[in-house]
Amino acid sequence: MAGIEVRDLSHRYPGAKELTLDGIDLQLADGEAHAILGGSGTGKTTLLNLLAGLLVPERGSIKFDGRDVTGLSGAQRNVAQVFQFPVLYPSLDVTGNLEFPLRNRGWSRQAARTRVLEVARLLDLEALLDRQPAGLSLFEKQLIAIGRALVRPDVAVVLLDEPLTAVEPATKWRLRRALKTVQTELGLTMVYVTHDQTEALTFADKITMLHEGRVLQTGTPLEFYERPAHQIVAHFIGSPGMNLIDAHVSAGALHVGDISVGPVSAAPGPCVLGFRPEWAEIGEVGIPVTVQSTRVTGTEEGVAVGLVAAHLGDQVVYTRQVLGGSLDHDARLRIDADRLIVFRDQHRFDHD
Amino acid sequence: MVDPVDDRRKAHWSLYVYCVYLLLPLYWLVGMALKTNQDIVGKFEVVPGNPTLANFAEIFTNPVWYQAFGNSLTYVTINTILSVAVALPAAYAFSRYRFLGDRQLFFWLLTNRMAPPAVFLLPFFQLYSAVGLFDTSIAVAVAHCLFTVPLAVWILEGFMSSVPRELDEMAQVDGHSFGYFFFRLFIPVIRGGIGVTVFFCFMFSWVELLIARTLTASEAKPIVVVMTRTVSASGLDWGVLAAAGVLTIVPGLAVVWFVRRHLVRGFAMGRV
Amino acid sequence: MIKGVSNNRAWLAVVPVVLVVAFSAVVPLMTVVNYSVQDIFDVDTRLFVGLDWYRETLRDPRFIDALLRQVTFSATVLVIEVPLGIWIARALPRDSRATSAFLILLAIPLLIPWNVVGTIWQIFARPDIGLLGVSVAALGISFNYTGSSVDAWITLILMDIWHWTSLVALLAFAGLASIPSPCYQAAMLDGASTWQVFRYVELPRLKSVLTIAVLLRVMDSLMIYTEPFVLTGGGPGNSTTFLSQYLTSMAVGQFDLGPAAAFSVLYFLLIVLLCWLFYTSVMRSEADG
Repeated sequence: MAGIEVRDLSHRYPGAKELTLDGIDLQLADGEAHAILGGSGTGKTTLLNLLAGLLVPERGSIKFDGRDVTGLSGAQRNVAQVFQFPVLYPSLDVTGNLEFPLRNRGWSRQAARTRVLEVARLLDLEALLDRQPAGLSLFEKQLIAIGRALVRPDVAVVLLDEPLTAVEPATKWRLRRALKTVQTELGLTMVYVTHDQTEALTFADKITMLHEGRVLQTGTPLEFYERPAHQIVAHFIGSPGMNLIDAHVSAGALHVGDISVGPVSAAPGPCVLGFRPEWAEIGEVGIPVTVQSTRVTGTEEGVAVGLVAAHLGDQVVYTRQVLGGSLDHDARLRIDADRLIVFRDQHRFDHD
Repeated sequence: MVDPVDDRRKAHWSLYVYCVYLLLPLYWLVGMALKTNQDIVGKFEVVPGNPTLANFAEIFTNPVWYQAFGNSLTYVTINTILSVAVALPAAYAFSRYRFLGDRQLFFWLLTNRMAPPAVFLLPFFQLYSAVGLFDTSIAVAVAHCLFTVPLAVWILEGFMSSVPRELDEMAQVDGHSFGYFFFRLFIPVIRGGIGVTVFFCFMFSWVELLIARTLTASEAKPIVVVMTRTVSASGLDWGVLAAAGVLTIVPGLAVVWFVRRHLVRGFAMGRV
Repeated sequence: MIKGVSNNRAWLAVVPVVLVVAFSAVVPLMTVVNYSVQDIFDVDTRLFVGLDWYRETLRDPRFIDALLRQVTFSATVLVIEVPLGIWIARALPRDSRATSAFLILLAIPLLIPWNVVGTIWQIFARPDIGLLGVSVAALGISFNYTGSSVDAWITLILMDIWHWTSLVALLAFAGLASIPSPCYQAAMLDGASTWQVFRYVELPRLKSVLTIAVLLRVMDSLMIYTEPFVLTGGGPGNSTTFLSQYLTSMAVGQFDLGPAAAFSVLYFLLIVLLCWLFYTSVMRSEADG
């Protein structure tokens, strides 16, 4: 396993005017599970293919454990990859599939068998070892594809390209859990590309979010939740995402309309206020809002909690709170003054 | 989408060698078409010394030739349309359902290509005479279905199997009738497959000689048959024959041109 | 391959195909079988002879010779055309404008009427006026396909390769183009050699296209008639007289309708048998896989 350092990586497809990736910097510690998050067309698959050595960057460098691998092929870099759809060798049985990368690298049959058994035990695949791929479910096939990616003990990094896409929804979590278990147990460095925030937040030690070929933010899942660096991140993470409403700063305080919501140390002027639905409450004090709907999502200590949607001017805000009897049509929104996040020009404004 | 590595594979040098092998006889055909009979049989020349368009002029001015050309196009077109029309529902059934004897049926369809024409020609002649279709384009078109239909079923089935079943289910959920689904939603999705099928039907029907010759006399005589009868007083008229040969390639090329993109993209074939 | 639900009503959708094909297939086949058990003097005078014609055909040394020649010829062209076609399909560039150009070029021999194919090679291989014949002669090799049976065979095989390899190549290419690129990427990362990529990534996914390509080539090569008829006329001697030509000379030349029909039925059964053996072995290996 290896640490990865990516510097100023840019890529442009032949004939394209725009850069698909523009100056990406990335740092992965040895044994880190790193998720690349982003919508479609944000360049995340391109980044993965650059790491895999399938594409050559226009600019920038990739280092594995300090060794520059930018010009090397994927096989020379010693990476393994899991794809959106299970990629297996149809004419080989499951054992044959799993030992394929080992045998190609000169392992003896005996040593390869032993290693295959280890990996199979780890992924709970032992019962399938003699089967042919044709009769297996998508879940089982993808598990085998993952097994093949993990079978080489010396692999520098395991790259996963939306590996849960093709799997039946009911078995997604099982596969994710299996993946997370082996990742931790074997201390693998993994790069996991996904458009699904839940997958990223639950799987990764660190997340990098891409947008239009640039990095919006790199950080732990908690940082993504609590301190999004960009409005797009703020909105993308969470369900529903962070509320983003127009506000302005004057006299050292943040105002929504003419009501002050708390002190900030920013220069006066317009800005965007961000707060999670969990960080606010609709009740009897604060900014006047019109409640649109409430939806119960569960109970806490016998009290119903849920999601409240309300209009603030022409913007919609959500809160997650106890659903008391005081939720009149005309209510007021109180935002936790300690957790205000201010965005200017889309970026988070650090006021501390 | 991202298409890395292997998709941009360059042509291997051996391909060029094969293309030369492919082109030389074709070059010779074109060369013959531009020569007089005396020059063809009389001497060896790599480049025609006295190129002439007389052979082509003969074809374009002689009604026997250009009508035969029209006859061929007629039955090939009928055959292609008929093959695709009957193969579409069958291919759909093969790709979406299992049914009693499906694989055997498919093999039976194929066996009809295996009848050696030499003796089957007489019964063919008798059959089509009995139903009053002798010497019509329809007779040739229907007879050629023997070998175009199995291929059409197979190709279309391959394309249909690569269309996810969810499309059918979605249409059902959306409340579309089967007819609407099949013609307005499904057929557009597999139009590439239809293009490829058209090419193969066209090809096998266009080049066939024995059945076409047996089932026609004068009215519907196709170009391949006229070509076998280009015997003049001085023997075979090589030049005109070569010119006709060159012209017979043209309609096929037009069809390939239209389906080239679908051929490039390829088709995932499910069934054997 | 996961197939759909079992539904015997699907037969309704197959009915048009069955009707169209059966119209041209069943009646002529019955007629031929009927001929094969009769001695036909003229339209009204027939004699039932049972399996006599079959026995006679199987004892006919010329039939056996033609059969051996036929099998040799078909096996030879198959052994060359199938690997060569796959090779060409793999040598084709992918996803470029050149691909279309190559595909169109490959399609040309398939689009030429079979008698014209014969004619082209008849001239092309002539040692006095054809490019091939003259070139070979210039190398100091005596080459004459009308005089030497070896030369006639070489010419025929070269012609058949020229004519039909494209079919295998086009089908194989269509199959190759449908292989998703991750399959290649995975193999590359797994350290597979070029041969292994072919063996484990491409070949298994080409199985169904190649099955059809082989079936088509087996059938068409076993029935070859027009091209050798034009090119060599079966000669020199009988050295290139294949089953179809011998059959035609019986049916048309000598008007021996009964024996010719028995011959046809045997011939037909031979092709069906070969194809069935091949088809079922592929199906069985698929069921195992």
